[in-house]
Amino acid sequence: MMWRDTGLTLILSLILSVVAKGARQTPPGKPKVTSCRSPEKETFTCWWEVGSDGGLPTTYSLFYRKENSETLYECPDYKTAGNNTCFFNKNDTSIWVNYNITVVATNALGSNTSDPFDVDVAYIVKPHPPEKLTVAVLEDKDYPFLRVLWEPPRKADTRSGWITLIYEIRVKLEDAEEWEISRLIRPGNILPVFNCPILVHPAGQQKMFNIFSLHSGGFYMVQVRCKPDHGFWSEWSTTRSVKVPDYIHRNRSVWLLMAILSAFIFLILTWIINMNRNSLKQCLLPPVPGPKIKGFDKQLLKNGKSEEVFNALVVNGFPPRSTDYEDLLVEYLEVYVSEEQELALDGKDLQSIGCLKSKSPSDSDSGRGSCDSHTLLMEKCGVMEPKEESSYEEPELQQAQAGNWVSLDRGESWVDSPNTSNGQVNTKPLVFSMLIHGSSNNQYHTSPELPKQHTVPDNVFPTTPYHPNPEYMDCPGKCNQYHLSQSLSAGAHQLQNPNDFNVPCLEGQSEAMGLGLPHSRSMEYVEVQKVNQENQLVLKPLSSHSHGPFQPLLVEAGEDYSKVNGVNKDNVLLLQRKRVMAEASQSCDHQVKEVECKQQQGKTDTHRSVTTQLQESMCPTTSGYVDTASMMLTF
Amino acid sequence: MGQVFLLMPVLLVAGYLSLGAAMENQRLFNIAVNRVQHLHLLAQKMFNDFEGTLLPDERRQLNKIFLLDFCNSDSIVSPIDKHETQKSSVLKLLHISFRLIESWEYPSQTLTHTMSNNLNQNQMSEKLSDLKVGINLLIKGNQEDVPSLDDNDSQQLLPYGNYYQNLGDNDNVRRNYELLACFKKDMHKVETYLTVAKCRKSLEANCTL
Repeated sequence: MMWRDTGLTLILSLILSVVAKGARQTPPGKPKVTSCRSPEKETFTCWWEVGSDGGLPTTYSLFYRKENSETLYECPDYKTAGNNTCFFNKNDTSIWVNYNITVVATNALGSNTSDPFDVDVAYIVKPHPPEKLTVAVLEDKDYPFLRVLWEPPRKADTRSGWITLIYEIRVKLEDAEEWEISRLIRPGNILPVFNCPILVHPAGQQKMFNIFSLHSGGFYMVQVRCKPDHGFWSEWSTTRSVKVPDYIHRNRSVWLLMAILSAFIFLILTWIINMNRNSLKQCLLPPVPGPKIKGFDKQLLKNGKSEEVFNALVVNGFPPRSTDYEDLLVEYLEVYVSEEQELALDGKDLQSIGCLKSKSPSDSDSGRGSCDSHTLLMEKCGVMEPKEESSYEEPELQQAQAGNWVSLDRGESWVDSPNTSNGQVNTKPLVFSMLIHGSSNNQYHTSPELPKQHTVPDNVFPTTPYHPNPEYMDCPGKCNQYHLSQSLSAGAHQLQNPNDFNVPCLEGQSEAMGLGLPHSRSMEYVEVQKVNQENQLVLKPLSSHSHGPFQPLLVEAGEDYSKVNGVNKDNVLLLQRKRVMAEASQSCDHQVKEVECKQQQGKTDTHRSVTTQLQESMCPTTSGYVDTASMMLTF
Repeated sequence: MGQVFLLMPVLLVAGYLSLGAAMENQRLFNIAVNRVQHLHLLAQKMFNDFEGTLLPDERRQLNKIFLLDFCNSDSIVSPIDKHETQKSSVLKLLHISFRLIESWEYPSQTLTHTMSNNLNQNQMSEKLSDLKVGINLLIKGNQEDVPSLDDNDSQQLLPYGNYYQNLGDNDNVRRNYELLACFKKDMHKVETYLTVAKCRKSLEANCTL
């Protein structure tokens, strides 16, 4: 019984299925108009898609209405464009007219109408792709470029202006992944609208485009498509390929050339620098000039012929006549020693001297310049330190005139030059300017150029760094003299800068200058005894009494000192030799002794040698001068 | 013989003058086409922007209603296909263009502008006025044609058509949509007519009848 039942069910199901099949006939499904396109704005085609056909053969028909009428028209051509299409030819196409299109699917059981589809032919233009695309490689001064030529699609009537097309090109290297798209190309004579791109001049209907910046040896593929002003893009045209020949990259060659050129230039420069090595050194690292004595020949000295050496130093016209001295005395002599100073000088310690001077009664700036300025004094005060070791040599300051002396307290001679970094520089010329008798050759340059004038101070003063030594005298009192004398001297008019007067004191360091001045508080004169190795003036104070090692040579003007004749244009101090031979010799001996004493105190051999040389220079002749500048140079 | 020789320079001068005139004509055409292309692009942008602000339901509804005759320029008879356009003379095309532009000169002020459009309403009207002037110049320059009768007929029609008739509608969205659609269409028409006319008057061999 079971298999009978199953058999029955089977038969029943079969029958049912057959019946069901036969019963599955429905009216057709709803079709849908997918799109309508016009290739040239003269005809157009519409496509629709079918729904289910309901199991029965279904026919489709397309109906349309035009904008202003209610007349229903049917599609004139179902065949031309293929299945499920409707083609409207020129006669049936109106532009700028709204079409209302519907598709009806009909079968034996019923029909179904699609949704209406509105279309204006003017806005559904999708042209065919451009035709006759050609690509060629052209040369342009080692820069090949591609010239792309094409024609508009055959049917599009661009000739009469009915439709205007714009084009687009895309380029790709063979193994590249993405296409490179050019800008829109709008042919014809129409001015660009909305910054549209370059114009292309067609030859006939042919459009042209150039592609630059190619890869050397690359294999390029080119495509082009077009679009009406307001419409859809066409399909890409067929691909055209071309191979770019190899060419030397201009970039690389340029770089190579530049590299070679720069290497060449570099070589030349190094060679030039090498050639001028010495002068470059001179320029960049100028040597510190040593003291120079004009006319002093090093070689002669080495040869040992002192006569010739010193003869070379002789200058005519020196010494100044004695008749001038009175004038100078009157002019230059200005002794200002305040009471406080006198007291101070008479035995107080050095520090108080300096500090007292700040209180000296005087008007603001009469004649003392900034010597008495507060800052100056304070600096001087600060500088003053008692120094035990006294290399109190007796410096011998060559004096030109009576009034033009550098009076030094015992052991104190220093120059304060707060205004210049190189204090020595500033002061030196000043000091000696005073000593100079109105020489018209005082051409040393003061304040603005003082720091640069290494020669002058170096000639006269030691150039070693300034050591504030307690042995050095405070100058303010002396400054007064200097200041006035300077102002009076013809050649020293440049020194009226108060700054300069900060330092019209003799600078020096104890060991360098050998200013081992005695601690007498009275005014003392110093003679330039010698110039040591470090271009320092070795001064020796001159005291009234000629006993003892520190005998000042100053008694009268012009007798025992070397007078500074002047400073010539080379900033060379022109000293006069001792007039009195005998005395000179005595003093020479004297000096020698003194110097030797000094030497014993631990000076270097160079000093001794210097002294000796100086001794020689100063003693033998009765006339002439000692040109300290040149003399110093030799040391 | 002498007369022939006298005529020759006259003819040459006339030839040069006509050449100059033709070039000037082309230049004016170029400017006019340029401007109308710009206007068309503007109109299209405005329409698209407005459509973008609509809801999908509204859009469907409006599409359906589009069938009716509501453009104010419908009274102006204009060629609606290529054949008709090419049959028309240059002067006729210019006249039609002139009227189309004129019909929009003031109603363009009521066109709505979305935020993306930077033009204010007066600027659009100014552009249309300028273009009208240009077309007028072209008409004068091409006036050698004998005015045909049908041109006269069409000139007597009211320029604004049924614009004012439809102003009473309160449905602003629909009205704006219609206005923008009509404006876009008319600008396209004028662009096509002017381009065809220019091409026909062009000295180059590209544009042929």
